[in-house]
Amino acid sequence: MGSKILPQWASKPCAMGIDEAGRGPVLGPMVYGCLYCAQSYLKTLATLSFADSKTLKEEKREELFETLKTNDSIGWAVDVIDARELSAKMLKKNKINLNEISHDSAMGLIDRVLKMGVLLTEVYIDTVGDAGKYEMKLSRNFPSIKFVVAKKADSLYPVVSGASIVAKVTRDRALREWVLDETAENMQRDFGSGYPGDPQTKAWLEDHKHRIFGFPTLVRFSWGTCNSYFKDVAQVLWDSDNLDEDGGGGKNSNGKRQLKLSNVGFTSSKRGSEEIESSGKGRCRFFQARKLEHLTNF
Amino acid sequence: MLIKNWGLILAAKPKYAPPVSYLPRQNPTVWIGRAKAEMENATVDLKPHGEDLSGCVHQLPCCVKHDGPASVSHYFKPKYNGVSDEGLPLQEAHFRGRLLQGTTLQLPHGYSGFVLAKKTSPPSSKQYSNSWVTKATFQDITYWNHDYVPSHNDEMLRAFHWLTVAKALHDPVTPEELASSSFAL
Repeated sequence: MGSKILPQWASKPCAMGIDEAGRGPVLGPMVYGCLYCAQSYLKTLATLSFADSKTLKEEKREELFETLKTNDSIGWAVDVIDARELSAKMLKKNKINLNEISHDSAMGLIDRVLKMGVLLTEVYIDTVGDAGKYEMKLSRNFPSIKFVVAKKADSLYPVVSGASIVAKVTRDRALREWVLDETAENMQRDFGSGYPGDPQTKAWLEDHKHRIFGFPTLVRFSWGTCNSYFKDVAQVLWDSDNLDEDGGGGKNSNGKRQLKLSNVGFTSSKRGSEEIESSGKGRCRFFQARKLEHLTNF
Repeated sequence: MLIKNWGLILAAKPKYAPPVSYLPRQNPTVWIGRAKAEMENATVDLKPHGEDLSGCVHQLPCCVKHDGPASVSHYFKPKYNGVSDEGLPLQEAHFRGRLLQGTTLQLPHGYSGFVLAKKTSPPSSKQYSNSWVTKATFQDITYWNHDYVPSHNDEMLRAFHWLTVAKALHDPVTPEELASSSFAL
């Protein structure tokens, strides 16, 4: 998504603003948006009444987005990272944290715009994590660009304010038009803003939790907020989680977990930490390599 | 259909099958065993009987602590996702926020999968009963990895090697084969 045809001004030095929307919510996509124009156009851009998208009403944002789309002196692009992808990355064996995902998304936008042939010389961006470190990371990846990494960049630089409108409007539309993966009955779309504190979001989460599947995939499972809804949801133990580490720290945690596993009938013998899987221990290598265990009882 | 506390048995359709059973990793429990097994007071009755669950049997890389039916088809939505470098057809699905990558294995020719349930013994009989009956059958199984692409190195896939080895071990040896192998020695 974004503007496609390369305008003439793109071969002159250009400035770009990058901002994000939907970083905090427990559901829906996180959107990175960028807006770019010729350095010489920045003054005019400042008169277009872009302000930090959060201070604007939704209708005003929508209106401004439509205006900037028709403005030939402005280019824009977005990166939509859906909740499935966020959860999957944050729950990988080697977890990727949200800051890293954010950095990758911003750098992906810069890369995309550069590859289109836009001569980016300056990029303004709201900081994620430590501003100094972030700037170093960006400069290392794009040595030809001067970076301005700042807190509240969206209210300081009109080009970032513009980017925040692009991101926020895209996020709102994506959520509004979201097609739920799940085909179960009684799936409602009244998820509210998606922020964990929003009463409508809370009610939706409560109504859509599922004993086996947890939540629809619109929800970011990696958010701590989810745990408070999971009290009466079936526990799931993953092979990839270290059983010794996540049992709550107590010296009995491992024993407890084994007991639980035994209770539900997955295992009857007292074995080591390989409770979930068979090991082929003590057998010839052929069986060990395939985790095939001799079974005399079931 | 979500299966638990029910065992899954991969068993040879013909008379010949390995005389012992093996328990590969994870749930649901998969046994590879003979068609009518009698193991330490257990009887297993395998019949092509009940629903055909081909295409519906999934092995997840986790243990779901739940016993009972679940609306799997409404929530678990595998999508085909190309072919791996090794030529395995790949699928992608999400479960509890995690990305799963899986592939469907056809059971080898001559074998069938069985879903078993424990036969409930009449309350009058005081004897401990451990007999199992077939509830459903299947001809393929989709196994899922968390965080890595299915490959021929996966234990699930390699476990099937046993069937070839077992067949070789238990095939009757003809006098000609015996003669030629003694000659080779």
